[in-house]
Amino acid sequence: MSDELPSIDYLRAAAALQGVHPADDDLRAAQGFLNVLLPAFAELENLTPEGTVPAGMFVPTEEP
Amino acid sequence: MSLVELAGRLRRSELSPREAVQDYLARIERLDGEINSYISVRGEEALAEAAALEALPPAERGPLWGVPVSIKDVIDVAGMVTTCGSYVTEDAAPAARDAAVVAGLRRAGAIVLGKLNTHEYAYGAMTTSPRFGPGRNPWDTDRIVGGSSGGSGACAAARLAAGTLGTDTAGSVRIPASFNGVTGLRPTTGRVSNRGVFPVSYTYDTVGPLAPRAEDCAALLAATAGLDVEDPSTADVSVPEYTSELAGGIEGLRIGVVRSLMEGDIDGHIAGAVADGIDEFRKLGARVRDVSIPGLEHFGTIQQATQFADATQVHAPTMRTKLDAYGADVRARLLTGLFIPSTVYASGQRARRAAYATMREVFRDVDVVCAPTMPVLPPRIGEDTVELNGQETLYRLTIIPYNSPWSLVGLPVLSVPCGFAAGMPVGMALVGWRFAESALFRAGHTYQQVTDWHAREPALTSTTG
Repeated sequence: MSDELPSIDYLRAAAALQGVHPADDDLRAAQGFLNVLLPAFAELENLTPEGTVPAGMFVPTEEP
Repeated sequence: MSLVELAGRLRRSELSPREAVQDYLARIERLDGEINSYISVRGEEALAEAAALEALPPAERGPLWGVPVSIKDVIDVAGMVTTCGSYVTEDAAPAARDAAVVAGLRRAGAIVLGKLNTHEYAYGAMTTSPRFGPGRNPWDTDRIVGGSSGGSGACAAARLAAGTLGTDTAGSVRIPASFNGVTGLRPTTGRVSNRGVFPVSYTYDTVGPLAPRAEDCAALLAATAGLDVEDPSTADVSVPEYTSELAGGIEGLRIGVVRSLMEGDIDGHIAGAVADGIDEFRKLGARVRDVSIPGLEHFGTIQQATQFADATQVHAPTMRTKLDAYGADVRARLLTGLFIPSTVYASGQRARRAAYATMREVFRDVDVVCAPTMPVLPPRIGEDTVELNGQETLYRLTIIPYNSPWSLVGLPVLSVPCGFAAGMPVGMALVGWRFAESALFRAGHTYQQVTDWHAREPALTSTTG
């Protein structure tokens, strides 16, 4: 994942593609979240042992 | 009076269901203006239902016969609008049927008093609803109640219902239980039906009880747990007799203390209260030792990686038509979910599987994992920071390391009151392996036989005045 964080223009366009039209103040608030989250999420790709399959829709169930 | 005590008094005809309802309605009338825990009260309906219950022959009376309870307002109660604490629902129609958990409570004989304040759409931990105003903490009405089930926590603490239901995605039962000084359970994911509950995240949401005591929560879970063929997220796992498994003590129970959560970014007084609580468990015969959980510091990130997409997906249609009707904080979170790459979700689901394997190993050596429920005191209403060891810290960031890890793997967590710091209650989290709620209830119940933190009640002005 790139270190580059998304601009307001990019976010506005990405929202419009999904039919959502937020005000710039709201996009700035979301950008604030993304600035913290995206670098942390980028690390996830390196954390998981190779060969690990995704969790199911609901994590496995078993009796204790 | 606790829920179980009240149920006993009702069974012994020391008071009638109508008298119980009238008592609570009078308390709500007198006290709720100070804490704003209720969104709506159904007084006439509750009294009529109490009268109908009185007509039942004793053999047909359930374990919660005549017990007044209240419900977080993201959970459907037939005939009432589920507001979710939001302006978005202003034109919504009343629910046509009860949520599965409400139906379960009614089958057990409980009476629904009303609907409780919530963080808007249960998507935040403040309970500062833009539509209904902030919940106020009964221990200090300038402080928040936590959330998202803040109304449920405050209502239970102020004894404005015998017990309440909340929902917990990533801490929303446990945080208000801790902040308001009551006991609260996040059940195992899949233990309780989510049918009729407005979702935050389909794979993390649970419905859980908040009440004064562990035994109260056991009684409420008993009425609400089990397979629901209409909710595919529920598990076909047998439901124990929670209330009859409370006794027997905890001699030999293996408790693992998460040392990394007792040190560092935590209020020292809170850590001290939890350490005292752990000492009590040791005196009660538990075998206590420290545990380390490899990768725990990443578990919150993994949980967030999957939760954002879930929540935004639920709200996407409304975001296209009513975006401005959301409060600013929820709007920002929902928008954030639009912009997180789909690959993050897949990575998160893989990491979630690995976290599950890690926790499975931890629980081979211990029966219960123990940690503080929250590392900070509730912030003042209107502020989004808290003081943590002399530094102003964003409140929302303090929540994740203490709550998200257990949600990530779908584990049950019981928060029990274990002391006070600066006059505010402190909660201790007891985490079990999946479907091991009985062990948590027994540990909490045993602890509450030798401590009285859970029995302390806030002195609201109208109580003392």
